[in-house]
Amino acid sequence: MAFAYFLGCIMNNRYPGIEKATRIMFEKLDIELKDMEGASCCPAPGVFGSFDLTTQQSIAARNITIAEDMGMDVMTECNGCFGSLYETNHLLHEDEEQKEKINTILSEVDREYKGEVNVRHFAEILYNDVGLDTLQEAVTTPLNLNVAVHYGCHFLKPSAAIGIDDPMKPTILDELVEVTGAKSIDYKDKMMCCGAGGGLRSRDLDVTLDFTKEKLDNMTEAGVDAIINVCPFCHLQFDVGQTEVNKKYGTNYSIPVFHLAQLYGLAMGLSAEDLTVDAHQISTDPALAKLDVITGGE
Amino acid sequence: MLSGGDKSGNQKKTEEQPQPDPEVVAEKPSEKPAETAPEKEAKSETPDEETKEAEKTEEPVESEKPVEKTTEAKEEKPQTKRSDSMTLLEGRDVETLTRSDITDDFKQAVIDAGAETVGICFQCGTCTGACPSGRRTPYRVRQLVRKALVGFKDELMADDNIWMCSTCYECQERCPRGIKIVDIVKIVRNYASQAGYMAKAHKMTGSFVIKTGHGVPINDATKALRKSVGLSELPPTTHEFPEALEEVQTILKTTKFDSLIGYNWESGELE
Repeated sequence: MAFAYFLGCIMNNRYPGIEKATRIMFEKLDIELKDMEGASCCPAPGVFGSFDLTTQQSIAARNITIAEDMGMDVMTECNGCFGSLYETNHLLHEDEEQKEKINTILSEVDREYKGEVNVRHFAEILYNDVGLDTLQEAVTTPLNLNVAVHYGCHFLKPSAAIGIDDPMKPTILDELVEVTGAKSIDYKDKMMCCGAGGGLRSRDLDVTLDFTKEKLDNMTEAGVDAIINVCPFCHLQFDVGQTEVNKKYGTNYSIPVFHLAQLYGLAMGLSAEDLTVDAHQISTDPALAKLDVITGGE
Repeated sequence: MLSGGDKSGNQKKTEEQPQPDPEVVAEKPSEKPAETAPEKEAKSETPDEETKEAEKTEEPVESEKPVEKTTEAKEEKPQTKRSDSMTLLEGRDVETLTRSDITDDFKQAVIDAGAETVGICFQCGTCTGACPSGRRTPYRVRQLVRKALVGFKDELMADDNIWMCSTCYECQERCPRGIKIVDIVKIVRNYASQAGYMAKAHKMTGSFVIKTGHGVPINDATKALRKSVGLSELPPTTHEFPEALEEVQTILKTTKFDSLIGYNWESGELE
């Protein structure tokens, strides 16, 4: 098994521990990740999709052609990148006229979108291609944590085009999380957006933080040790945004945030430094300390 | 140290003011202030803004209770005073949209841009009920779809609220007509952008992609962090491959994205 590894922006340029954890994890699972050399921003669906759909589709199609040259399906672990690339791939598959239009633009850089590869999300690959049993076997350090799973929006929606799981009551991430030994705790309005997407975070931080605070309130109410996400932008929103919420509302939230890849990293015995969780704005120490107690503090 | 960095710029209100195409807004000079006013008001309120709004509008009626005395009370009060307190009707004359506000071909333009489902909306409002942004801002998805359908193009373009959608798809997932609502939102925003209604912070993100190929480019702190865990200091993206960045730039010139956001290639800044 091999995938063209699409990095995007926020993971590799802000939270490299997610990338590191993924590379080590996939090596252990014996899945090859090949770099998509020269790939760019997906591009950010909020800004580019809102400003000019033709530009958004052209840049996304260029990224896909890099994977086509490699003859591999794309893997991304960001919901935003997944949305931008998947939707473009889907559209150009269905709409011959639009495909021609985009290819005319790509011809300026000697590229052609052919529609030969799929765009896949990291979590969906783990669930469908690797499987829970194999993942279970890879876990060396079971995690005794109660976590709030945050699905984000563009992983499952629009469900008519994506079809990974039920968008209202999904279980895919909860199952993936529980393989590590952690317990997924239900909380109010679990499927609600973090507030960052659609260009909202940069357009109006107050509105964005109001979304985030509602999620943090509901997670706190449920009593969790950590937030688990599958999108570096949601990740940033819960990490950086949590400190911004505290500043704006005078609150004192301190829920550690982990990308699913980082959670698996912990379950496979990687150090906090390798996962770069020690560089998060919200300290992950409370969650890590809880693990130490369980494992005997190696 | 991690930070939202470039994406989280604290935008000043003044920067948000779009630079409108004179042709587009010339007809309705008073539209802009009228549109932003309710938004500011709502922002200072708590999430249950809708409840408060409802209470507010009902106030004049409640003050006249008990109900039996309504007629009597009305007669005692001068008519003008009552109208003054009817906040719902205040300024209605100037804001009422009429046939002259309709751009005839707008519905077709939205359909041609890929949202053919816009035409089958029966205005049930399920979308607005599902919208997390509508719970805290004056953004109303149903209204946006309706305005697109009727052709209130200029009205929509100038409305700050069309930018309050986080594209979470909750509306679209619940729409009983299967309308691709988020596509409509994006198409409407595309038109607004063409008319010059773009936030500075969004244009900045665009300019980062033009300059580096990344909406969130690398910084020194992350370079050090990457190195510390044994990753290449620069990711193998446009950051590492200048010829790949040139490809991205050529595409952005071809689609005229650079001129859309007013990017100056010589200064590397926005105009």
